[in-house]
Amino acid sequence: MWIEIAHFSTLIALVLSIVLLTAPLIGVFWQRPVWVRIGRQASFIICALLTLACAGLIISFLKHDFSVKYVAEHASLKLPIFYLATAMWGGHEGSLLLWAWMLSLFVAIAAWKHWSTHSVSMPWVLSILGGVLLGFLLLVVFLSSPFDRLINPPFDGRDLNPLLQDPGMVFHPPFLYLGYVGFAIPYAFAMAALITSQSDNEWILATRRWTLFSWAMLTIGIVFGAYWAYYELGWGGYWAWDPVENASFMPWLTGLAFLHSVMVQERRRMFKTWNLFLIITTFALSLLGTFLVRSGVLSSVHAFATDPGRGVYILVFMAVLLLLSFGLLTMKSDQLKETPQLESPLSKEFSFLINNLFLVAGACTVLLGTLYPLAVETLSTAKVSVGAPYYNKVFIPIMLGMLLLMGAGPIIPWQRTTLARLRREFLLPIALGAIGIITALLLGVTHPFGVASVGLILFVTSTHLQDLIRNTKARMDKESLGPLVGFIQLIQRNKRRYGGMLVHLGTLTMVAGFVGSGLFQEERNLFLSLGDTLRIGSWSLTLQSVDKTARRNWKADEAVFKAENNGKTILLKPQKRTYSKSDQPTTEAAIHSAWNEDLYVVMGDAVKEGVWSFRIYRTPLVSWVWTGTGIMIVGVFWAMMQGRRLQRKPV
Amino acid sequence: MKTRPNKRLFLIGTLILVAGALAALVFSSFTGALVYFHTPTEVTAKTTELNGKKIRIGGMVQAGSLVKESGTQKIRFLVTDGTSQHPVRYDGMVPDLFREGQGVVVEGTWRTGQDFMADSILAKHSEDYVPVEMSKEGIEKSKDSLMKSLK
Repeated sequence: MWIEIAHFSTLIALVLSIVLLTAPLIGVFWQRPVWVRIGRQASFIICALLTLACAGLIISFLKHDFSVKYVAEHASLKLPIFYLATAMWGGHEGSLLLWAWMLSLFVAIAAWKHWSTHSVSMPWVLSILGGVLLGFLLLVVFLSSPFDRLINPPFDGRDLNPLLQDPGMVFHPPFLYLGYVGFAIPYAFAMAALITSQSDNEWILATRRWTLFSWAMLTIGIVFGAYWAYYELGWGGYWAWDPVENASFMPWLTGLAFLHSVMVQERRRMFKTWNLFLIITTFALSLLGTFLVRSGVLSSVHAFATDPGRGVYILVFMAVLLLLSFGLLTMKSDQLKETPQLESPLSKEFSFLINNLFLVAGACTVLLGTLYPLAVETLSTAKVSVGAPYYNKVFIPIMLGMLLLMGAGPIIPWQRTTLARLRREFLLPIALGAIGIITALLLGVTHPFGVASVGLILFVTSTHLQDLIRNTKARMDKESLGPLVGFIQLIQRNKRRYGGMLVHLGTLTMVAGFVGSGLFQEERNLFLSLGDTLRIGSWSLTLQSVDKTARRNWKADEAVFKAENNGKTILLKPQKRTYSKSDQPTTEAAIHSAWNEDLYVVMGDAVKEGVWSFRIYRTPLVSWVWTGTGIMIVGVFWAMMQGRRLQRKPV
Repeated sequence: MKTRPNKRLFLIGTLILVAGALAALVFSSFTGALVYFHTPTEVTAKTTELNGKKIRIGGMVQAGSLVKESGTQKIRFLVTDGTSQHPVRYDGMVPDLFREGQGVVVEGTWRTGQDFMADSILAKHSEDYVPVEMSKEGIEKSKDSLMKSLK
């Protein structure tokens, strides 16, 4: 019953998305505003219908309706209710419906918020988004339907893949999709601006919050994925340059480039074509991310499907989108002439340009490493893989270069600067960075990247703090305020700048985490019997017991370790779980997380009676990666809170 | 102050230099990072050609071939695709999905005439997630799809 309601409302939404695609265009060409309004209403109704469709699917899960094929494949009677409700996006059919629902929600919000302020571009925005939505709904209804019924419903379902029964994996896809889908809105505004020949700054100003929001969601989604890999996969790391991770990393990189380079267009009227290129690329890479993961072309834990029809459809969809977008960009290139030019390499715009080069090079690196194996496989019989060393070799220098720019970019003024001013701004940070490098060397850090990152982190932190202190002082002197009030006023009046700086500080925290966990991880593989003790770092671990334990849909062998460190005692309980519906055992690592290091214990098989194998990691600074992400997100939201600025006087 | 064209030249030069360095970094890292994948049959066919190269071999862990050396984590097994098989040695904890009769991908350096010393083992689960009580037919089918996905 519920599934029919869901199916039927998706069908109506499909028909209405054709209306959303065409009606606004009729309104524009025959100058009948009422048709544009019809399109707007259609967007609201589509959103309501798809909400109903998602609800219908979730209710089918909650009711254990195994006559629905999708439910039977992704749930079971014993699945806990939390995973039951969220199993809706446990497979690709449901995820695509979720994608479409989010898009419809964003379209409705855009149609509501920007209706009166952007009346010229609105018909085009609606129509473009209608086209994207139509593309996705066709996929959901005809090629990847979550609404199919089974003729002989099983008594119980197959259960959700045990690896996906984890909070990290529950929240990973929705956030990722919020990011992917969010980029559709700036993309549509950019295209509309091109079509209506208003490719000045308006589309950038209008979509600033959308872009920031999407990028923040993408960040959260990616980090949830990493967090899941760390907690669930039991190999002690969080990022493996798996194609699925790469797929979400590419739009993140180009989106980040876009966030920076639009500032140049806003202030200096430059990089117009480049910004359009970046937003088209970012949205296209978002689609590619969905395609790569959901078509099954990659074989990894995420990609459960093998269905060429779906893959070909998404490829054609992307090809059409890219051809139309870049075709339009070429056709309209004459209106994108730029009058101001770069004046000096010692300017903010130049540092942003280099920043963009780095980020785009990063995206190309990932694209090459991800698609090359697919190309080889398609064009010949050989199969090839590109390992983590390739990415690390490229990304570590890029990251260090980005850090250097991050220290300089916010401080260097627009247009040009003088050497005297540079000396004033950078003398102290460079000195501090140098001290950092020397200290690291004295402390016995020998890895060149470790040493360089310590120096750079100190350099960037001090440029940012110096800027903060100087500007607070200036405000205190000007309005004779106390330091705290001055500081609060400063960061409140310029939320965008200081939100951005907070994002930078969050990034530094993350980088410290990357360096600590990447270069200084300690790993032990060993056999233990009851009562055995081992030392790792300043910890001493004793295996106390190994027992059997069980929950609703799994049973497990559970080891109990007593871990002691300077008088502090904790218990660690790693498990080897077997889910009742599956023959694959899964590892549940026991993790003790502290501010400075994580202790991570993985249980292996019993080697013989009373002896088990264990793998134990001591990883410094992992929690800094998660904390840094939190700081970044706060920074992004702080920057988002700034409303539109009054027209600045042109610089 | 310098003249304008001179300055532009300097700017463009800097840009080209940075972009060139980045491109060089990417491509120099890319060559040499590629690891080719082979089935056991291919390895038998190209055994001398592959000598000394880092490769991946994908197949099934032959049933009954897994030997564990007691007191250590060392294991030895045969990787097979039904036609051809090769002995593999590995020292370390194996992934959850590793077991006899399941798909496996081993990575290491091929030395003709010696056992394949794997640096890492990637267990491959079939693309279709198969629960325990599935029919024999279903398991066969998923095995087929596994072999196909390994190719």
